[in-house]
Amino acid sequence: MSVTSNDTPVAAETPTGTPTGTAADAPADAPVDAPATTAVAVARPGRRRGFFAGGRYIPYVMILPAVVVLIGVMAYPLYSLFDLSFQNVNRYAQLVNPGLAQYIGLDGYTKVLGDGQFWNVVLRSVYFTAELVVLSMVLGMLFALLLNRVSKWAKVTVITVLMFVWAIPAIVTGTVFRWIFASKGGIVDYVAYLFGGSESVKSYDWFQDPVIGLYVVSAVVIIWGALPFLVIGLNAALTQVPPELMEAARLDGASTLQTFRHVVIPVIKPFLVITAALSFIWDFQVFAQIFALRNSAPEPGYWNIGIYLYEKGIVSSHYSSSSVISVAMILLMLAVLVFYIRQMVKIGAQD
Amino acid sequence: MAATDVHAEPATAPAGPAPKVRLKARVTGESRVMTWIWNSVALAFAAVMGFPIYWMIITTFKTNKDLIAKDPTFWPSSFSFDSYTTIFDDPGFLSGLQTTVLITLGSVLLGVAVGFLAAVAVARFNFRGRNFFIVTMLVIQMVPLLAIIIPLFLVMKSANLTGTILGVVLAYLVFTIPYVIWTLRSFIVNIPAELDEAAMVDGCTKWGAFFRIILPLTLPGLITTGVYSWIQAWNEFIVANTLLSGGGKQTSMIWLTFYSTTPTRGADYGAQMAGALMVSLPVIILFVLFQKKLSAGLTAGAVKG
Repeated sequence: MSVTSNDTPVAAETPTGTPTGTAADAPADAPVDAPATTAVAVARPGRRRGFFAGGRYIPYVMILPAVVVLIGVMAYPLYSLFDLSFQNVNRYAQLVNPGLAQYIGLDGYTKVLGDGQFWNVVLRSVYFTAELVVLSMVLGMLFALLLNRVSKWAKVTVITVLMFVWAIPAIVTGTVFRWIFASKGGIVDYVAYLFGGSESVKSYDWFQDPVIGLYVVSAVVIIWGALPFLVIGLNAALTQVPPELMEAARLDGASTLQTFRHVVIPVIKPFLVITAALSFIWDFQVFAQIFALRNSAPEPGYWNIGIYLYEKGIVSSHYSSSSVISVAMILLMLAVLVFYIRQMVKIGAQD
Repeated sequence: MAATDVHAEPATAPAGPAPKVRLKARVTGESRVMTWIWNSVALAFAAVMGFPIYWMIITTFKTNKDLIAKDPTFWPSSFSFDSYTTIFDDPGFLSGLQTTVLITLGSVLLGVAVGFLAAVAVARFNFRGRNFFIVTMLVIQMVPLLAIIIPLFLVMKSANLTGTILGVVLAYLVFTIPYVIWTLRSFIVNIPAELDEAAMVDGCTKWGAFFRIILPLTLPGLITTGVYSWIQAWNEFIVANTLLSGGGKQTSMIWLTFYSTTPTRGADYGAQMAGALMVSLPVIILFVLFQKKLSAGLTAGAVKG
């Protein structure tokens, strides 16, 4: 099962140019992989083969630059994030004069966790992420299935359009949709008017009420940007489902829904897990689209955890408070993603 | 909805006499009428998805009169390039583009070089700590960059790198290096060690084997990861905005984001859309050129959006 997972759209592409390229397509992948795995296994100290035989220190030298850089820009900042979260650096003055900063233990945490706004933001993020992940996965799956049903030319047309959508940067997406949903001259309002709205519909302000602005407009914008990856990826996964399996299920009298539920879903499940996890990661920390949509100053009603962090930390210099928020954000994400990491490690262990 | 109907069609079919023909008809040929209906649904979907891009492009060619008209028009009454002149006359546009190009080039070259070295080590050696290293690369990709933005800013500040291009380049390595390692690893694993052994038996030096065997065979992977890193770096906004703040430099994305914040430009959507299009054009071109490789690579190991 997990062999299919990794190989669905991935391996079909990866081996371009490798000598094993032609043979390495999905079904024949297991036997092709085997020599490579043994090559790694054989490469025990003393019996190392091929390029760089001998020299125990060589791999460490090779990963050294990566390790140094990642310690500098990731590990150390992470450490100082926790360090900062136990201090009271909540003004710019305390930042430039470290003498003014003090360790206050868990006081920073009680302060942030005792703040009603923090919980509002966390809840809003959870709801918003759930809405985005569910809607984009369902829509992505429906359109992926649709692409399997339509004529070739229609499929090519859709995929071409999707590629262009995929290429649009998030900030640009936000900027363009701010214009599309504008209350003066916005095309959405005008189309609504053409379809029988009154004159006042022409100047309807989509952003007046943050609930609509976030859960409707921002959601549309973010899902619009997410669909190309999901539709193209899921469609590629669907084409990996062996037609014989579907045939067999139908001959045995399974209904369409049953075939989908008991044949298609299990086969593409590994890919579904990865896509859902990626969607979760992207949607939970979404920032640029909302930021651009709200003209670089999102109102508090639009604050998800990312924007809250930015407003607290960068805009109003509450460095310690926003560190606490960051810690909460990381923990929330890791809690959800533990199962995903397990899955990826399993896949990684195979090749 | 689509799912059920797609396959509901053949379920009603199997009443025909010849089983062999029936079998074929089930797989491919659902009724023509339904195919046309689904084709139109697909085209409608493509139209809805494509509309925002059309709207962005068409807005850039509208005259001022069209732009401020109460009712927007789907096609400009006459074409004008004023929006582009406005954008190219803006001093921030070209300097922003220059900064973006430098940052992008720097992070692609550094990220791919450093990541490639580590990927070879991980794929070809079985050293102590290898699995830990691989798993760490995976977990790092999941830490939201936004969450470490404040300590990152402080680290760069104490290293006097805020407001500099180098600072942003180093920060971007956080997401390029793990991705490059994770992706290139699978490329290199697929090159059998026998191949470079054979080259060395035939008289190649170690480095000869590296440059003649491993490097060329990994080239497609290097291109994929390079293009992917390019797009990530080009599109990034929040880290660049934080690290460059106060330094007088800005990237294209920062320029675009704040272009509309002054009252005089806020309503000039023609110029804003022209800016948006210009800023994304390099990415769109790259994306279209490398689309096959990218869609494969993105599903392989990409975690950052």
